[in-house]
Amino acid sequence: MELSVILVIAVALAFDYVNGFHDAANSIATVVSTRVLSPRIAVLWAAFFNFAAFLVFGDAVAATIANDVVTQDVLSIGVIFAGLVGAILWDLITFWFGLPTSSSHALVGGMAGAAVAKAGFGVLITEGLRKIGIFIVLSPLIGLAMGLIITLTIFWVFHRNRNVERLNRGFRTGQLASAAAFSLGHGANDAQKTMGIILALLIASDHAAPDASTPLWVVLAAHTAIGLGTLTGGWRIVKTMGSKITRLQPVGGVAAESGAAITLFATSAAGIPVSTTHTITGAIVGVGAARRLSAVRWGVAGRVVWAWVLTIPGAFGISWLTFLLVDLLS
Amino acid sequence: MDNRAVFFFGAAVACMLLVPVSDGYAWVSATVAAVYVLLGLGSWLDARSHRRL
Repeated sequence: MELSVILVIAVALAFDYVNGFHDAANSIATVVSTRVLSPRIAVLWAAFFNFAAFLVFGDAVAATIANDVVTQDVLSIGVIFAGLVGAILWDLITFWFGLPTSSSHALVGGMAGAAVAKAGFGVLITEGLRKIGIFIVLSPLIGLAMGLIITLTIFWVFHRNRNVERLNRGFRTGQLASAAAFSLGHGANDAQKTMGIILALLIASDHAAPDASTPLWVVLAAHTAIGLGTLTGGWRIVKTMGSKITRLQPVGGVAAESGAAITLFATSAAGIPVSTTHTITGAIVGVGAARRLSAVRWGVAGRVVWAWVLTIPGAFGISWLTFLLVDLLS
Repeated sequence: MDNRAVFFFGAAVACMLLVPVSDGYAWVSATVAAVYVLLGLGSWLDARSHRRL
């Protein structure tokens, strides 16, 4: 294998690491903010289930990323490198500002930007991008509805229970299971995106056939990288997710994580690369809205939505410039 | 009408607008829209019963 291919695989794994680092907050914000687990134990818990996801899910999302964003013939080592650089830089910029944006959409925007810089807008696959675009809107709304419905169901089932302390203890334990389920969904949907990029790179550099499935070493490397990233997770976003959008109790944590996990399991099985960030943010808003709409801090939620809207254009622009620079230097 | 119901009906309209462009996933958009219509109705009835109390 050429040095350039190995280098780009390392950058792809670095993106996966940053993804875990950036999105660690999604998995652990609710368990940390409700004080069910200490931050240190919470990241260990999430990292383990991020890694374990490869045992449970297939590679349908990886195939979508590898085949449905830009045409295969435009993919080269330079395009994939520039796409990854754009996604990583966008993730780091939004991390700095504490905004829970989507690493997945940064990756899609980055790949599209680098490919367009190389060969123009004709290389974009409209069908694949439309599917991703539709679920940018749908995934937070599905998460919100699921979070709200689960919260209302829990309230309805337990409304006669007067022992609040015992109930809270039960939900604190339940949060361990719901956080594990969400981390599993996160590992499945997000690690697969890096698997897709590495598969595309192997195909572009003739190390794999165009119809090849993802090699086991790629699956293991991607899940290890995202697990390690989660292990060193970022605290700025934990704060935004865990307390700034709405205040969460253990029961709300269970509802938010369960709602988001169900959404991620379904979309991973269908091969749809949704944003784990958008899904859990929607679910947290849903939990807040179950009490009353004013329980949600809409100013913070609005800031988050703007960051979502800007993610694909932002990563697109950075990757576009990076590709031009790489092309100039080479 | 209470703000929460308006928000849910707005979400339903957004999902309905996605149906024609959703191709193979039109049923997902339509189902989510239907769920938000139900949530909107539930929220509106809830607010109305609270006002009467």
